[in-house]
Amino acid sequence: MADVTIDQVADAMFELVSSMKGKRDLKPMDVSKQMMEKFGDDVDKKMCKKALRQLIDSGRLTYKYAGGSYVTLPEA
Amino acid sequence: MTEMKYKTPLLDELEKGPWPSFVKEMKKEAHRPMVQDAIGQLERSYEEHISHWKHGGLVGVMGYGGGVIGRYSDLPEEFPEVAAFHTHRVNQPSAWFYTSEALRTLCDIWERHGSGLTNMHGSTGDIVFLGSTTEEIEPLFADLTKHGFDLGGSGSNMRTPSCCVGPARCEWACYDTLDACYNITQEFQDELHRPFFPYKYKFKFAGCPNDCVASIARSDCSVMGTWKDEIQVNQAAVLDYAKTVDIDAEICDLCPTRCVEWDGKTLEIDNSNCVKCMHCINVMPKALKPGKERGATILIGGKAPIIGGALLCSVFVPFLEMDKDSDYEDLKELTEAIWDLWGEHGKLRERVGEFIQRVGMSNFLEEIGLDPVPEMVMAPRSNPYIFFDDEIFE
Amino acid sequence: MAEERITDIGPPNYEQFLPPVIKKNYGKWDHHEILKPGVMVHVAESGDKLFTVRCGTPRLLAITSIRKFADIADKYCDGHLRWTSRNNVEFLLTDESKIEALIAEVEEYGFPIGGMGNCISNIVHTQGWVHCHSAASDASGTVKAVMDELMPHFQNMELPAKLRVAYACCLNMCGAVHCSDIAILGVHTRAPVIEHDDLPKMCEIPTLVASCPTGAIRPATVDGVQSVEIVDEQCMFCGNCYTVCPAVKINNAQTDGISIWVGGKVSNARVAPKFSKLAIPFIPNNPPRWPEVVDAVVKIINVYAENARKHERMGEWIDRIGWPKFFELTDIEFTKYHIDDFKHAGETYMRTAQLRH
Ligand code: HEM
Ligand code: HEM
Ligand code: SF4
Ligand code: SF4
Ligand code: SF4
Ligand code: SF4
Repeated sequence: MADVTIDQVADAMFELVSSMKGKRDLKPMDVSKQMMEKFGDDVDKKMCKKALRQLIDSGRLTYKYAGGSYVTLPEA
Repeated sequence: MTEMKYKTPLLDELEKGPWPSFVKEMKKEAHRPMVQDAIGQLERSYEEHISHWKHGGLVGVMGYGGGVIGRYSDLPEEFPEVAAFHTHRVNQPSAWFYTSEALRTLCDIWERHGSGLTNMHGSTGDIVFLGSTTEEIEPLFADLTKHGFDLGGSGSNMRTPSCCVGPARCEWACYDTLDACYNITQEFQDELHRPFFPYKYKFKFAGCPNDCVASIARSDCSVMGTWKDEIQVNQAAVLDYAKTVDIDAEICDLCPTRCVEWDGKTLEIDNSNCVKCMHCINVMPKALKPGKERGATILIGGKAPIIGGALLCSVFVPFLEMDKDSDYEDLKELTEAIWDLWGEHGKLRERVGEFIQRVGMSNFLEEIGLDPVPEMVMAPRSNPYIFFDDEIFE
Repeated sequence: MAEERITDIGPPNYEQFLPPVIKKNYGKWDHHEILKPGVMVHVAESGDKLFTVRCGTPRLLAITSIRKFADIADKYCDGHLRWTSRNNVEFLLTDESKIEALIAEVEEYGFPIGGMGNCISNIVHTQGWVHCHSAASDASGTVKAVMDELMPHFQNMELPAKLRVAYACCLNMCGAVHCSDIAILGVHTRAPVIEHDDLPKMCEIPTLVASCPTGAIRPATVDGVQSVEIVDEQCMFCGNCYTVCPAVKINNAQTDGISIWVGGKVSNARVAPKFSKLAIPFIPNNPPRWPEVVDAVVKIINVYAENARKHERMGEWIDRIGWPKFFELTDIEFTKYHIDDFKHAGETYMRTAQLRH
């Protein structure tokens, strides 16, 4: 089983959110689900949460409220 | 008094009358330019019958997905001081106990960073600071945490839990609401600050079925104190009440299950039929008390109308022990099971009560791993469209 | 970063704020008694006594006032006080002899004592025009106008039972007012008006479309600009779209107003908790004092106070006399809007011939 690092998950998340920019906003859970699909058994919800937190804490992604909470790229 | 920047004849009307006036409160802080503009804009709303606030932008503190609500004027040229005027939710101490010193600390912090206007408290329970600029968001947060306070929840996360005054000052508390509220708030800090759910999730802790925090109506998870054994009766005190209370009319006839009898000398309660409504105890607090075998009923799924209509919570676990020493393990386990299921399958902006209705209570219970019990329904179904599966043959 | 960033510490531990008499008698209270409106005593098994003096506030408080409360608490309560779930302040004392002086000082400062027992306590309410974008009416102003009239009921205990009034300025019901004896609710009555010129500049269309809980918003090209359209019949006026996009205007000075709902409760005493039901569908906004709203609330309370039996909450009283009688006694017109037409409407139709004639 290939070991996946939190950094790898975070990078994949960042890519996903960037690719959806202007098309559709993603909820934290959507992002995590897609990661778990992509990486299969190597990634679980806990890892996703950690990766997400890393992205948010570092400012690469940010939360936004639009009737529900989403993750998105920070405003330029 | 500070001189007012705008004429406000309509708001001035609301300084009159006996009830304390919010307009006077606003004017008390009018030495700040932003409060002057807030007053000016409000007067405009009173003239025009319309709100002049809008929502928007990405505001918040680094790393958190909630706690700050973006608020902007839609007349920024006329009222530049409130062009940005954001709300901050500050997590209140359990049961809203303060010391004068703690209050002054909060006032000093808010004086340094914002309007000086507050709500004590917002409807979720938080201390609400009304109105700061965007630049002050991070410094305010740093100042709060330095003094031991933290932001509360907003967005699709666990919202700030709140509780009734409980054992701190109420003889009817069937478990320690303050401790449970504090414990759960601390346990789930991550879920409080980082939205990971389909929508909001609220906890409210009430010590008994009087439900002074309206948990059954205002939370997704209502933890309501109750008891299993007999109501404690002090017959001598009942006799005392008999002088002023018509026990037959005011107690026996109003008991929902008519399980109380009074022969003029002794009060008899058929405890096996008592539904713990609290009425008799409320009327004769010196004579009656809840039983000694205490715990809580867990009810799930209450909410206001948006989106699928208002719901009251419904019974999920009829009786759960709420022992402090157990660290509320059972409640936490149950909560995580609910969050996992709803988190994965809930639709955007679907509260857990709506989710349960959509997937069906039976399916929900099966996934969580709880057995169905008759306490969960008002009555069994009358509708014969039963979706049988193979289990019926086992 | 110069200083370590502190996060996730949660609220301060409540224990440090409890007065010594509470710490000592925590969970060991024996009984309580309301001594007079706004003043109660809790007696512990140890015999210790804790006095509570309850004071009404407008919820919107200046830090100037909070500091004054802190000073009063220092002077009479060794610095101890708390807030209630209905925005009242409670001063906590052990020295009974200080109560009258405390009350005098609080009243002198302009805040009333009361809100205990069979009375009308403070009105739980929301932000309104003071601070919310989707408010169909103002919360603080309506509440102030209504409480000015209801003040005697805050200060005495002469109603048949507790009477809870709550206010929310739109359907979101931030205060979840839907289980109150009387709920005053701001309502929008028209779908939002779209400013098509501004919309593409201000908003992301996919986010806007997704924001509508009922799916009423669709992408559309209007006069050559990429914008949206709203299916009026699907809109239930929640204002969510306006939260996401300021070019979709939910607020409407002409058609926004107030509705009144009655007969809800949250406590389990006697009968189960209930939702409030519609009494008056629409009253136009009439600031600064909303006289029509105030009159309607006062009228309903007066009829209830005259007719309900002891211990009967508003909803229990109406259940006993029946809704036709309620509308007759209060002179409120029953209209087509009173009959539910949403999902489970059928459950509210009268399916029995047990009627009062
Ligand atoms: C999806 C629609 C909703 C939107 C757009 C919305 C928006 C808001 C906004 C903007 C505020 C802040 C007002 C301010 O302080 O400036 C607020 C406050 C609040 N909301 Fe909501 N809300 C929604 C639904 C709800 C629902 C359904 C509930 C309750 C079940 C709720 C509970 C609250 C509470 C408790 C507050 C604090 C209000 C106060 O204390 O005045 N919200 N909401
Ligand atoms: C030991 C006795 C009691 C204590 C210490 C107590 C405490 C409280 C407090 C502090 C509040 C907030 C009140 C306010 O802000 O004005 C409250 C509200 C409430 N109490 Fe009690 N209460 C007691 C008895 C009762 C009884 C006898 C009932 C019911 C018959 C009851 C039902 C409620 C309800 C329904 C609310 C309002 C909740 C809401 O709408 O937000 N309580 N109680
Ligand atoms: S809910 Fe019950 S235990 Fe809590 S304060 Fe109210 S009456 Fe007391
Ligand atoms: S608590 Fe309610 S149900 Fe139980 S005996 Fe008293 S009145 Fe009856
Ligand atoms: S009830 Fe509606 S208008 Fe009032 S504060 Fe809440 S969201 Fe805003
Ligand atoms: S007001 Fe609410 S229901 Fe109406 S269009 Fe906007 S989001 Fe949809």
